[in-house]
Amino acid sequence: MSKARVGWYLASLLFGVALILVWKAIVDARLISPVFVPSPEATLRSLVDGLLEGEAAELFRATLMRMIYGWLLASIVGVGLGALVGNSPTARAYLGPTLEALRPLPASAIIPVAIAFFGLSDRMVLAVVAFGALWPMLLSTMHGFQRVEPRLFEVARIYHMSRLEFAWKIALPSALPEILAGARLSLTASLAMAVAGEMLVGVDGVGQWMLNAGRSYRSAEIFAGLALLATIGVGTSILLGAAERKLLRWRQLQR
Amino acid sequence: MTRQESEAASHRQPLVSLLDVNLSLGGIEILRNIKLDLFPGEFVCVIGPSGCGKTTLLRLIAGLFRAGDGRIIYRGKELTGPQHDISVVFQDYGKALLPWRTAAGNIALALEANGTPRADRPGIIAGLLEKTGLAAHSDKYPGQMSGGMQQRLQIARCLAQDPQLLLMDEPFGALDAMTRQGLQDELLAILASTGATAFFVTHDLEEAIYLGDRVIGLLPHPGRVAEVFDVPLPRPRHQLETREDPEFLRLRRELARFITLAEA
Amino acid sequence: MTDRALADVRPFVLPVALVTIAEIATRVSGMESYTLAPPSRIAAALFQAGSDGTLVSATLQTLASVITGFAIGAVVGVSLGLVLGLQRPLDLLSELPVEVVRAMPSIALLPVWMVIYGLGYKMEIAVIAFTTVWPNMVMTRAAVRGVTPRLLEVSRVLGLSYLQRIWKIVLPAALPGIFVALRLTLGFSLIIGITIEIIGNPQGLGSALMLAREGMDPGTMLALIVWIGLIGLALNAITATIQHRLFGHIAGYGARS
Repeated sequence: MSKARVGWYLASLLFGVALILVWKAIVDARLISPVFVPSPEATLRSLVDGLLEGEAAELFRATLMRMIYGWLLASIVGVGLGALVGNSPTARAYLGPTLEALRPLPASAIIPVAIAFFGLSDRMVLAVVAFGALWPMLLSTMHGFQRVEPRLFEVARIYHMSRLEFAWKIALPSALPEILAGARLSLTASLAMAVAGEMLVGVDGVGQWMLNAGRSYRSAEIFAGLALLATIGVGTSILLGAAERKLLRWRQLQR
Repeated sequence: MTRQESEAASHRQPLVSLLDVNLSLGGIEILRNIKLDLFPGEFVCVIGPSGCGKTTLLRLIAGLFRAGDGRIIYRGKELTGPQHDISVVFQDYGKALLPWRTAAGNIALALEANGTPRADRPGIIAGLLEKTGLAAHSDKYPGQMSGGMQQRLQIARCLAQDPQLLLMDEPFGALDAMTRQGLQDELLAILASTGATAFFVTHDLEEAIYLGDRVIGLLPHPGRVAEVFDVPLPRPRHQLETREDPEFLRLRRELARFITLAEA
Repeated sequence: MTDRALADVRPFVLPVALVTIAEIATRVSGMESYTLAPPSRIAAALFQAGSDGTLVSATLQTLASVITGFAIGAVVGVSLGLVLGLQRPLDLLSELPVEVVRAMPSIALLPVWMVIYGLGYKMEIAVIAFTTVWPNMVMTRAAVRGVTPRLLEVSRVLGLSYLQRIWKIVLPAALPGIFVALRLTLGFSLIIGITIEIIGNPQGLGSALMLAREGMDPGTMLALIVWIGLIGLALNAITATIQHRLFGHIAGYGARS
């Protein structure tokens, strides 16, 4: 990273700190009631207390695990299915439109059905997380495989590549940028559905912690929960960025 | 002695024969009654106005199309599809290379397809990179290379197939004049050392004469072989001297006349 | 001719087959009653809810909140995006704080606004607005910064003033990108709204959905899911048409997706 970049990151960090100070000033001056928005110190105190003495660490782990398991499940199915459908024009013609049509359906709408099958349980939340994460992965993989450069089909024919070889050596690397973009979306959806499920069902997790705090007007805990969720979000974003940099080096080096 | 004379003298068997080849697509006749022989070691260029089917003809020989009528004989047998020792250099090199593999990786693709033993691959790849002047760029991605370099990489990959026949579809068309001339000479040198046959489609009349032993002129609607020009110029060719040879100039006038009439 | 006809039919083969299988399977297996319902019953329930007014009122409740929230998020988000797109220093400064705020899932704001507004439409609007500001902002910023340098050069050569440049070149050039952002966030707003209603806001389609489940009425429940999906599709189609009308006909005025 260049010096200028690092400089701006630091400046941005300072800007963030400045914003926090503004936040503190607003709450201290009672412009907003601390019942609605806690001060930064109160949030921090609540966070630290929760992690050290309370169950915040456990809840954090629970939400994180739920999100990751659901996402992994969805990714395997989504990429597999997406590759199969995307690679075959016949499958695309029959299945594509239906799959696309389901894209705007809110994943949360599946919650009642999931409840019907799994009851108000942990498994239900996992199912919803997986469902929410499935769609972006499936559709982006399908698109990625669809958009393979036509010229490369001919190159593959000249080299007598089998269907599998083609999918592995040419279609998959070619689709990778889009699959990774889909991964970003599906990770976001996983986290959102995990939290939503926790709020609804009341299983252990940050979502449930925050909702309970909300019902009892403990705003510092709510904001502490927000901080935990932001950590998960930023953390996954950084990891994904690193993965992109590693896997898509060729793209970034382009003239 | 020109190539033509030496062939006649030795009664060599053609590498590729097209016999009464016809091709129609979507109800439109693209090629009619194509009769063509390509002899081993020859450099054959194909010219013609737009729509004369020269690219289609190339793809036919590549095995990417099936002829409607007529037969294509390659090395004594009927051609039914792409062959391991017929390689194709496309004009849009950017799309024909794998952007996520390095130069070495791209060449490796041909070796993987050939089933070349892993142990042999690095040596072959290094040799081909050397031959095409890309030795210093083995770890670069196509996206980091200039147009000329990318086209050389495509040629290197094609050479990895150890081809008997090199089909080239206006390979230098997207490059600037200086790069083009450099690549022309490199191509001639490479072919001189491998002895492969070349089938080269181009718009550039001077390029066709400079490179070829024979220039085939196609006319459109439907595409058919109208004239075959012999190029009795000595080899090796030189950018300056050859292009000033009176024979070169005569041929250039003839080809220009052919194209002008064809496009009328 | 038959090729065309076949192509038109193919997208429907799967749905029709699934519906038929579902109809037979649910009737035969007796799995209906509490958890599932045959498609015919779903259709009947949909019709029923439509005609007795419950569907209409729930839909209107949801849409009112969704569209209001979307509108607020759009105005604020696009404005912020324009500022960031035009003022690079501010853009660079706000990079980290924006990343952190964006990382919070929309639902997480539910407790925050619940404390302020309790349950109801205000809370829903607030969550939607607050959440959609960020994608609008980020995508607008990208659209503004994506204006090709060539156009900016032209504006310099022509001697346009700063304001003229923004009004005549940057905004029109960024408009397709901004519109795409708005399409995305509209769909997003619907998703957030329904989710909030499912979790506990006693209004709209999401709430009706949960009521149907608790009332052991799988026909209505599934009918509502289908209905919600249809609304999503409809919103998408309407905005796509508008996008095409506004931007499609001008060559190179990229209406992506």
